[in-house]
Amino acid sequence: MKLKNYDYYLILLTTAILFAIGVVCVYGITYYNYLAIVPGWTETVGYLQFINEMNAYLYPFLVLLLISLGLCIPKRLFEQDILIKISLFALAVTVILTFSFGMEIAMGFILAVITGLQGVVMILTFYKNRAIRFEKEGYLVRMGSSMLHLGIVILIFNFVTLRESQFHILIFWGGTLFVAAGNIFSFYPERMDFLFKRKTK
Amino acid sequence: MGFAEYLAAREFVSNTGQPLITYIFIMALLQFIFAIFFLWKKNIRYYDYLIKCLYISTGLYVIGFIVIMFFHFQIYNSVLIEYPKELLLPVESSRFAVPLWIESEKLYFWAMVTSVLALTIKGRKDLLSFLGIILSVFSSIVFFFSNPFKEPLPVVHSEITKWYAALSGDGNIYQIAGTLYGRITYYYNSSYMWTHPPMLFIAYATLIITFVACVFMLFRRIRDYDEIAYRYAKPGYILLTAGMLIGYPWAIEAWKDSAWWWDPKISGSIMMWVLYSAYLHARIYVERGKLWRTTALLGVLGFVTLVFTYLLTYIVPGIHSVVQP
Repeated sequence: MKLKNYDYYLILLTTAILFAIGVVCVYGITYYNYLAIVPGWTETVGYLQFINEMNAYLYPFLVLLLISLGLCIPKRLFEQDILIKISLFALAVTVILTFSFGMEIAMGFILAVITGLQGVVMILTFYKNRAIRFEKEGYLVRMGSSMLHLGIVILIFNFVTLRESQFHILIFWGGTLFVAAGNIFSFYPERMDFLFKRKTK
Repeated sequence: MGFAEYLAAREFVSNTGQPLITYIFIMALLQFIFAIFFLWKKNIRYYDYLIKCLYISTGLYVIGFIVIMFFHFQIYNSVLIEYPKELLLPVESSRFAVPLWIESEKLYFWAMVTSVLALTIKGRKDLLSFLGIILSVFSSIVFFFSNPFKEPLPVVHSEITKWYAALSGDGNIYQIAGTLYGRITYYYNSSYMWTHPPMLFIAYATLIITFVACVFMLFRRIRDYDEIAYRYAKPGYILLTAGMLIGYPWAIEAWKDSAWWWDPKISGSIMMWVLYSAYLHARIYVERGKLWRTTALLGVLGFVTLVFTYLLTYIVPGIHSVVQP
């Protein structure tokens, strides 16, 4: 089954999710301002409750964003209907894990799945595998897009589940490198291509 | 070198900078008038005057920035903080390597970069005229509310003054030295302070041009301005992303025991970033139907959140803020 205008609606969906995350942030600012009426409130248990509450508002949108990233990049790796079924299955497992073991575990699950998927996509893109097709053509644009998406997923994974890990900062810099390189490759492929060709001569 | 040399440098920067910023303000007023007249009358003569004013004000901004750099260099040279041995600090002494974008200097830096960037679009008369109006308002705000020459670096000055007062027996030297060690190590001399804010301010400056182009797209209802909006959104987004991310390890290092998670400024920055991400995402299909209107709207909304995020420091309490509950 092929959905008409699949990529277009996927991008609209991603845009809407990003916008929704923006709205959560506005709520966070307003709520913080309201709570800050009490001096020193950040040193009380109320601050922890505030963080947990805000995370609880943010995580569903993060899950949706991760799912949409999962649907977006490897869209030609699998048939569309298979990909949608896998995504719905992953979403269902995430919801079940949320109610059974809590949000952190559920986020850990979905993040691990999407990180693995994005990693595979990036490797396939690197080796110019024909299974992958992107909205924008060009090897460096594809690499950039893969790196950017993988970097974002790594960073979210790191922020959500690896905050206490001794490798937290190391992984952070790895994710940052992917995001920065991904941005540059995606936006300036011609210039990067020029550098790439000069190096291989 | 010492306190007297520092005070002399401060007086010099004030005496040199005050006339400079006054001329910048006068140029801003002229820019405003010529931009309005050009947009109204469409007479190229007014545009030529606008360009001349813009060149002069940009030059003055750069000269003023050189004066600021000199002042910071003199602070570094003249002020030496020698910590009492009893404090058992990891270093014996420190110098102030004060970044060039703090206190009242940050808005000046942002305005200067915007002014320089404005010259790169002088071929786009309508856009530059509108940007000229924004810049003239910007320069007026700098002149009236964030003048870096009126009372140069008031917080740094108060810290340096307290240190020298303590040295002459007025105040608790141990307490002041301990506070200064933290401020110098994790704030002024931090490599993050030298990278995180300037990347963001340069990003803000490029995103102003994206905003101007998006406003024209919305008001004139044509997609022609998309190319220029996107051209400036690209470096803006790269710097915004990298600049924001660089702030993270710094926050862990400097605020390890403080409450900064979901701080309003950080929430605002995330909001701004997701809106610009949404803009760039929607832009992939800019040629499809009327989607360019959505991208233009997101470009405008992104800039509104940018200004809002900047102002959060002054209106909402938090670890990034100057206001207290």
